[in-house]
Amino acid sequence: MLRSLILSVLLVTPVMADPVKDYILPATERFAAATEDLAKVAAGSCDAAVLQPAWNTAMDAFLDVQFLNFGPVEAEGRAVTLAFWPDPKGIGQRQMQGLLAAADPAVLTAEGMAQQSAAVRGLVGLERMVFADPPLTGTYPCALIAATAADLDVTARAIRDEWPAFAQLLATAGEAGNTTFLSRAEATQTLFTPLMSGLEFVRDRRIGRPLGTFDAPAPQKAEMRAAGRGLQNITRSLQAMRAYTVALAPQAEKTLAAFDSALLAADAVEDGSFANINDPQAWLKLDILRQRVEALQAVALDEVGGVLGAGVGFNAADGD
Amino acid sequence: MATRRAFLAGMAAAALPRLTWADAGSPAYVAAAKTGDAFALYGLTAEGAAVFTVPLPARGHAAAAHPTRPEVVAFARRPGTFALVMNAARGTVAHRLAPPDGMQFNGHGTFSADGAVLYTSEQRAAGSEGRLGLWAADDSYRRIGDLPTGGIGPHDILRDGDTLWVANGGIDTDPDDRTKLNIATMAPSLVRLGADGAVLDDIRLPADLHQLSIRHLALAPGGLAFAMQWEGDAAETPPLLGLWADGKVILGDAGPEAGRMRNYTGSIACAGEQVVLTSPPGGIAACFGLDGALRQIVARTDVSGVARRGSGFILTDGTGAVTALHDGALDPLATGGPQWDNHLIAIG
Repeated sequence: MLRSLILSVLLVTPVMADPVKDYILPATERFAAATEDLAKVAAGSCDAAVLQPAWNTAMDAFLDVQFLNFGPVEAEGRAVTLAFWPDPKGIGQRQMQGLLAAADPAVLTAEGMAQQSAAVRGLVGLERMVFADPPLTGTYPCALIAATAADLDVTARAIRDEWPAFAQLLATAGEAGNTTFLSRAEATQTLFTPLMSGLEFVRDRRIGRPLGTFDAPAPQKAEMRAAGRGLQNITRSLQAMRAYTVALAPQAEKTLAAFDSALLAADAVEDGSFANINDPQAWLKLDILRQRVEALQAVALDEVGGVLGAGVGFNAADGD
Repeated sequence: MATRRAFLAGMAAAALPRLTWADAGSPAYVAAAKTGDAFALYGLTAEGAAVFTVPLPARGHAAAAHPTRPEVVAFARRPGTFALVMNAARGTVAHRLAPPDGMQFNGHGTFSADGAVLYTSEQRAAGSEGRLGLWAADDSYRRIGDLPTGGIGPHDILRDGDTLWVANGGIDTDPDDRTKLNIATMAPSLVRLGADGAVLDDIRLPADLHQLSIRHLALAPGGLAFAMQWEGDAAETPPLLGLWADGKVILGDAGPEAGRMRNYTGSIACAGEQVVLTSPPGGIAACFGLDGALRQIVARTDVSGVARRGSGFILTDGTGAVTALHDGALDPLATGGPQWDNHLIAIG
């Protein structure tokens, strides 16, 4: 009797969460697979009707890794290159027009694109071309799209290929010779921080920029207006961070419920491009979503942070 | 007679031994830190070992070390109501300084070259007008006057020969809760004051960078390096490093890595031809050349304190680690310490 009780206690001891194996590595694989597909499509077609679905798939896969803004995703300026947004000064549009006007053939390879400004590269650079109105046609613009997709694929593959070594650094935190993570706590902190900064990005940028204030909404500041993905980017990144939370701290039930509550509020938003945000009803619905994300931030900091014994850094939280 | 007088003088000196930094364990640095809910000021060796600890009543910020006596002035975090003069050899508080009525300490201060005068960074609670407080360090830290800093919201101050640099951050803050009141119109400046308070230099950034608050300072070969934080649109990533030499300002260029600083810098230090800026929210230390070009970035969780260590640097962070940084490589010196606060101050 006693023995079986002990055994059952042992059996219900929670399995150690492994967000790297359960979430991060598969997500980087999916992203690289999607960009490979997009690069292949772009090499064979310049038809917007063919390019746009492949780009959308790659964009969804990117949102699954975008918030993992540390290690391989952040190295070499990749986070900025992959999605140069916000771009309040319209640098990307200006530079893309410059590239098209110059029509330099040296740019038309993955290596050539890698030398270009972050503002014309990556998924945002591609969105500008793939959703151009009127559509881009002609040999040079089509080759530029293919080169941009090839360059994006190189970056996504580098992230996928570098993650296993970075995972090893996380796994050996605190061991001799590991100067990246001097303790287990640092590795845990590194895995926790992107959840908080990712939610902040959703609230302040993806929602906050078009939302503006009740008296001055700013539909022109919405993300990816050409592709009409403002809301989809919010929904997909919330879903991604929810899945990450399941892998990171499966017992964080309040946080998962807060994610669901925010996703419900996202469902209630009708215009996915936020073009109608000047309408008071539409504004209020987006503001409710903002409030839900804000509540989610507080719950996640408290609950997931508590489970992991992590928080916002002492200096990072409140500097001077 | 001469011999007898010399003997007596020697006796007097022996009877009243002057404490030196050696009596405080010869620390190379001081830093404020937090352990649990308790705050303290620590003296650290170049190897990251703590040699003295003095409790603080509340969260500290920066400190100023007397050039010869083992005295450290620990400044409260902004808006500061106290500065404590600590005897580092005895581990006791020797003097408690309070700002004059209607004034606040701003977390930083420095000594004159001879150690006779302590300068404190202060602002008027209402309006944030910057003042430099003067205290007689050889006379029980008596308040002896104040001078205008030529700007509002001064933060770091730094002695350069017989002159003083002041980073006028430009931000008008609410006296009670630090709410920023003038972001749209802020106008930071870098001012050099003569010993008499005369403005010798008044350096301003281009108009489109007026929301770059100049916060922290380090002497650099032939000039000055300064660290800034961006109060403008978070979508932009302007340079956070400035270098002043030969009457010209060079701005740092971190290229595509610029966003990694999260538009915020914690501290700055110079060693030889290198400048290091820390960003606690970015969890990085970024090393630049004197030409403003980014050399490399190293990742350290919650890193904020930085000071020169030989030809390289020493970093402190909120995880309790002290780390050496040399040629872009990190070398852990100590871990498991208290949560090191914003700044690491070199002694001497």
